[in-house]
Amino acid sequence: MIRYAALRLLQGVPVLLVVATITFALLRVIPGGPFDREKTLPPEILRNVEARYHLDEPVARQYLRYLGGILTGDLGPSYKYLGRDVTQILADAFPVSMELGSAALAISLLFGVSAGLAGAVRRGRAPDRVLGMLAVAGMSLPSFVLGAGLILGFGLWLGWLPAGLWEGPLSVVLPAITLAAAPAAYIARLTRSSVLDVIDMDFVRTARAKGVSEARVRRHHVLRNALLAVTTYFGPLLAMLLTGSFVVEKVFAIPGMGRFFVTAVTNRDYPLVLGVTLVYAALIVIANLAVDLLYAWLDPRIRLGRSKA
Amino acid sequence: MTGRRTRSLGVLGWLGIGMLIGLFAVAIAGDSISGYAYDVQDADRALEGPSRDHWMGTDALGRDLASRLAEGARVSLIVAVASTAIALLIGLVYGGLSGYLGGRLDGVLMRVVDVVYSLPDILLIILIKQLLESGLSGVPDLYRTLVAVVLALAFSSWVAVARLVRGLVLQAREEVWVEAARAGGARGSRILVRQILPNIAGPILVTLSFRIPAAILAESTVSFIGLGIQPPFASWGVLASDGFAAMRSYPHLILFPGIAIAVTLLAFYWLGDALRDALSSR
Amino acid sequence: MAVGSCFARALTAAAGLALALACDGFGPGGAAAPRGTLRLNLGTEPPTLDWNRATDSVSITVIEQLMRGLTRLGPGLQPVPALAERWESSADGRTWRFHLRRDVRWSDGVPLEARHFVDGWRRLLDPETAAEYAYFLFDVEGARELNSGTSSDPETLGVRALGPHTLEVKLVASIVYFASITTFMVTFPVRLDLIDAHGDAWAEAGKLVTLGPFLLDEWLHEYRISLVRNPDFYAGPPPLERILGYMIEEGSPALVLFEQGLLDLVRLPPLEIRRYQDHPGYRHVPALRGYYYGFNTLKPPFDDVRVRRAFSMAIDRSQFPTLLRGGEIAAAYWLPPGMPNHNPEIGLRFDPEAARALLEAAGLDPTALDPIRVVYNTDQTHKLVAEKIQSEWQTHLGVRVELENREWKVFLRELAASPPAVYRLGWGADFPDPDNFMNLFTSWSANNHTNWENSKYDELVLEAARETDVSRRQELYDAAQRILCEDDAPIVPLFVSSVNLVVGERLRGFEPNPMDLLYLDQVWVE
Repeated sequence: MIRYAALRLLQGVPVLLVVATITFALLRVIPGGPFDREKTLPPEILRNVEARYHLDEPVARQYLRYLGGILTGDLGPSYKYLGRDVTQILADAFPVSMELGSAALAISLLFGVSAGLAGAVRRGRAPDRVLGMLAVAGMSLPSFVLGAGLILGFGLWLGWLPAGLWEGPLSVVLPAITLAAAPAAYIARLTRSSVLDVIDMDFVRTARAKGVSEARVRRHHVLRNALLAVTTYFGPLLAMLLTGSFVVEKVFAIPGMGRFFVTAVTNRDYPLVLGVTLVYAALIVIANLAVDLLYAWLDPRIRLGRSKA
Repeated sequence: MTGRRTRSLGVLGWLGIGMLIGLFAVAIAGDSISGYAYDVQDADRALEGPSRDHWMGTDALGRDLASRLAEGARVSLIVAVASTAIALLIGLVYGGLSGYLGGRLDGVLMRVVDVVYSLPDILLIILIKQLLESGLSGVPDLYRTLVAVVLALAFSSWVAVARLVRGLVLQAREEVWVEAARAGGARGSRILVRQILPNIAGPILVTLSFRIPAAILAESTVSFIGLGIQPPFASWGVLASDGFAAMRSYPHLILFPGIAIAVTLLAFYWLGDALRDALSSR
Repeated sequence: MAVGSCFARALTAAAGLALALACDGFGPGGAAAPRGTLRLNLGTEPPTLDWNRATDSVSITVIEQLMRGLTRLGPGLQPVPALAERWESSADGRTWRFHLRRDVRWSDGVPLEARHFVDGWRRLLDPETAAEYAYFLFDVEGARELNSGTSSDPETLGVRALGPHTLEVKLVASIVYFASITTFMVTFPVRLDLIDAHGDAWAEAGKLVTLGPFLLDEWLHEYRISLVRNPDFYAGPPPLERILGYMIEEGSPALVLFEQGLLDLVRLPPLEIRRYQDHPGYRHVPALRGYYYGFNTLKPPFDDVRVRRAFSMAIDRSQFPTLLRGGEIAAAYWLPPGMPNHNPEIGLRFDPEAARALLEAAGLDPTALDPIRVVYNTDQTHKLVAEKIQSEWQTHLGVRVELENREWKVFLRELAASPPAVYRLGWGADFPDPDNFMNLFTSWSANNHTNWENSKYDELVLEAARETDVSRRQELYDAAQRILCEDDAPIVPLFVSSVNLVVGERLRGFEPNPMDLLYLDQVWVE
């Protein structure tokens, strides 16, 4: 198990390198550069600026310089936030994203799984379904629309919660709900779908026929399979919470990392884009590993490292 | 639990179908159903709330919001359906091959998926959209952004489909092989078409029922960043994000596009769940 | 005591204006207890507080609270004494001498000396600093050479300390508005000893040493910056105890936070302005910022001056204030009101018939013309304006117009590389002198994307920069503006933007500024 995990993490390294390369290439191909300004810079000044950031070197050289930086743990200086390193910027922003993300993760799992189970078990009872689906539809609004609704409703009209900022536990509520909504809806549908798949399956019928109690059947066979489906979704879920948070961070003025996925690109802050992309990719590699491990644990039919054998 | 009730689509399923038919009708009719052309400006009546003349109010240029929404249905659906169709096609072939053939090919294909997966969606969408927009030749200027957005959305979502398909095929393959072995063996392609495809069709249909809404959502997010469809076209995402910038004073500008999006998603979900139920009772 | 006397004076004063004036002297008097915390929305993170390297308006806003320069913009946007208590220029206008105040100390107790300016200017122009706004001092002798690397000896730069409190500057040519340039942050003094000690981090909280009315206390990046009053500010400490500048990008949520009483000062997003026009806290002022459409004069049909004039005359500019509702001023001229030498008489009037006649004279059939492509950068206001322009040209000229928006950086690159036939841009004043606006369309300007050149225009602008006689300067700029806005029409000025804010009811002494600077050293919260 540990050898397998170590191997998978090692396999992640080339993935990260390829990700860095693709992002680097895409960034250099799209039009517009970091120092294109509304007030155009005179040529001699542009030369100084480009020299400072080695942008006057051939691209291949810049690429090697960048890779060398990654290997020594140096992600380079930001082109936008002068005097700050990308590493430093990410170190400031990452904990905030994690905090918001974990709150949203808890909400979406709790709400999603229970709504999904309820939906599956009570299938066919129209009022439940109408209510459930209305909730789902509400949660599936674009997050900026939902965020606007929550801000207007709970902030402006009811005055219960702050409409933004990042000060104290109260300010986490609205953004966490906004961020959790879409994943929760997704999880609910996934759970419902997989529970219904399993309920009619042979081994469940067999279990019932053998006289296993209904509660035990649900717990052991049905829930386990439902979790299996949700587990598959864990990687994308993490991704959704991280990159999805850029809208939520913008709407609620939260100083997290998500915003850089967009602003760093629009600023053409190459090192910062590469920095957030690498952090994101590393998280995905780790999450995928975690999913596979969980999967193996939940479904004994799948053996780890089978393809290696 | 099973039996008659799940064999048909049920009330909600039919309701979903009805709503979608209505939606497509609106999309085809466009602004001709609301009495105002979607691009006619009336400066004297700008930013009005809902009234008898303009039953969803007007925007900052005095254009009828209902007409803009009807016109937007067309754009939103084209974007969502087209990008999903492309993503589904790529994902089915790719994931199916990977899962069914397995072995070394599966390993390689999945490494590629890992890489694309490890790139943040939104980053990928922005970069590809910018790239295509400046690089697409042969597309009229007017449609360039539209095409770029569709392709960017498709390219960022096919991986999810591919992964799902592969997982389903893997699962189905194991079960089918057990049965096949029991039954005395059958040819591979036969197994793929006769046994595995029906097994995964349900989940795929369900996926489709939330891939299209997901595309609608993704498009609206791209609009929120300001990189969405551009005038004269306006998708619901564009209208909603325009409304966001005025939400304090003119909530109707975000409310109605929001409702339009929510109702559409609801219809897809109802239909999707009903399909799932009907298909799962063999 | 001081509060009481201020009140007493206020009671006898006839108008609210008098109250403001009377209390003006009170804040810096320093005897009173500090009053309140001001919470405002900066909008975005200031990219840096290193004033040699900063370029954007948010950084300027914060730096203006932390620092002072030789001069400062007074009420009429004229330069008034700040760190320099007086200055004089030689008869040929090329040598300037600034005499510094002797009572100024940095926040670490070090007295201000003239060499801090010399250090700052040399650092600004050092190619290694890579300061984007180094060109603000290109009129100083040796500056361009130093910055472009043709000279590496900082001694060749025409700025010297003639003792601790006298600064002498030599210019390459007479520049009448030089005391306006020294109001700009890139010319502020720096402490090289601290920059050497801390490196790039010298402008972070805990390290930054300044000498203005406020000091940097805490900087939570991408979230909030906190400034506290400087008790030793040379002009007396300001009334405010603390300023909290939040970085809330989206204007509408910020407005809700304002309504919730969590912010005291926010900018109004364009579409929200109308609703707040009767709010007691609504403040607005026309900015020194022009909004225009430019033609690429090499691209047909805009290579024909008649066509350009026709398109300019086919726009009813009076519609923009109605459309945008932020107190914008329709403008067919280029120099905005509030700028010296502004002249409202200049510009082509709205005349659709004459415009159509001009097109006909140019031999153009509007209906047979390829669609006119208008390119702008993605933004709510720009989109509204573009859609309005589209409808004006289609209605009055019968041409077809297609709009294309671009992401900001893509747009800028396109402007620099190959400008589209019609594009939108704006220009905000860096310092309040007409030269800052008129220089834009000279043949040597990097910001002239029209490909239009007119040697007569170039000469007029150069001559005006050196002209000390007020009425003669007016004549020169009038002539230049007529070429730009009427005769050759490479650009279509549309309107003058405005600053729109809403402030809390407890905020006192705040007025918006046409340069869009926030002056907060005379402001307090009741």
